[in-house]
Amino acid sequence: MMIWDQWKKGFDTWEQKTADMLESVLKSPTVLQPMTGLLTSTMKVKSATEKAAAQWWGALGLPTKREQEKTLHALNQIQSRLIDLEERLAELKKN
Amino acid sequence: MKRFTNLLSLATRPKPQVGITPADVFFSENKWRLLRYRARPEGICHPTPLLLVPSLINRHYVLDLMPGKSFAEYMVAQGFDVFCIDWGTPGDEDRYVTFDDIVDGALGRAIRQVAKTVPHEKTHVLGYCMGGTLTAIHGAVHPEYIQSFIALAAPVKFNDGSLLSRWTNLKGFDLDTLVEATGNVPWQLLQSAFQLLRPTLPLMKAMNLLDRAWNDEFLDGFLALEAWGNDNVSIPGEFYRTFIKDLYQQDLLLTGGFRLKGRKVELKNLVCPTLAVSFEHDNIVPGPSAAALIDACGAVDKQHLHLPGGHVGAVVSKHAAKTLWPQLVAFYAKHDQPVVASPAPRIEVEVAPAKKGEPARSSRHGRAVRTSAVAE
Repeated sequence: MMIWDQWKKGFDTWEQKTADMLESVLKSPTVLQPMTGLLTSTMKVKSATEKAAAQWWGALGLPTKREQEKTLHALNQIQSRLIDLEERLAELKKN
Repeated sequence: MKRFTNLLSLATRPKPQVGITPADVFFSENKWRLLRYRARPEGICHPTPLLLVPSLINRHYVLDLMPGKSFAEYMVAQGFDVFCIDWGTPGDEDRYVTFDDIVDGALGRAIRQVAKTVPHEKTHVLGYCMGGTLTAIHGAVHPEYIQSFIALAAPVKFNDGSLLSRWTNLKGFDLDTLVEATGNVPWQLLQSAFQLLRPTLPLMKAMNLLDRAWNDEFLDGFLALEAWGNDNVSIPGEFYRTFIKDLYQQDLLLTGGFRLKGRKVELKNLVCPTLAVSFEHDNIVPGPSAAALIDACGAVDKQHLHLPGGHVGAVVSKHAAKTLWPQLVAFYAKHDQPVVASPAPRIEVEVAPAKKGEPARSSRHGRAVRTSAVAE
């Protein structure tokens, strides 16, 4: 047990130091900038691909994913407004 | 020896049940639900109900992890009428859900619904992590229904030099492209960002597991937390855009430039008794970021607690049940006069076992549906 405890203590010290070191490395713009750049490029490619697919889909006269999402969102907004009205009516009745 | 047998049987070990404190759906709208935990048999003994507001990124059942490690269960046992928001899982169409929709709309509605269950129309609100930030913003604009506010590890100061702050403030970080491409910002991306805050965490967890594998109770808690930690939720894109742009990039909450549905958010208007809790080893919400609420809010009765522990462990553990939770109950006791125990509220129950991956059916008002499996 003594050996295990010693080893665990050593590990904890190593972990703390490594975590601190990695934190300062990851915070450095030299590391963070390329990672962020890669993420942005990937997102740009994804966005362009989806836009092209939507245009092709739309050319066939079919509703695109984005249009369907907007419609569903509008329905949800209407539901919210109706609940708002119910709340106001309940408030008026109470008063 | 038990350590090795436990480790060997880890894969076949029955998964601990999470979020099993009995609750009913009190209200629901779009994907979010307001859960009401069933009162203890002796009845409720605090006149003001308690609303728990979890983060949007994680599942609500972190506050009801498992028996003995459930804050909700503990508060029910203390005689509170406890409610909790389950933000649900956003659908693709929810990419357009804005910050105002959530903080002014959904959160406001939840607070009003809870407050209106009592004659004095007030509720205690406890916000955990991002839930605390959202509540602070809401409470600064609509303080009327809030009796008291506890912000548990809730960030208020965002420009704090942390990794997340630096990452979102980088020139190359194109927030609009990210939101445009992803719609709902995927949980995998958020999870990766949090893992970068402490890259050695998986190793540390493995070491703790090896160290304490002989302890069945520890193992169950470990597995429950892992189950919760791997059950994440994506964030509505428009909400994320405002959260990052106005809070992380411009830190508008502290400078008074933040607006909620067109109304200026000034934390000095948050005047109810306020308690901010921060944790010493919290690498997600550093102490000063959470403590900033106390300087900024306008409450006369305000208090800051800085406790040992991490972002999750200090809130959900046996240790928390002995240290943190009693202090929160003491805060409520100070700001609420106890009343004679009343019988448990009658709730008309329609048994409808929730199927996995399917939200339980419910009506919006009053008639609640039993959802003992709300956290499936």
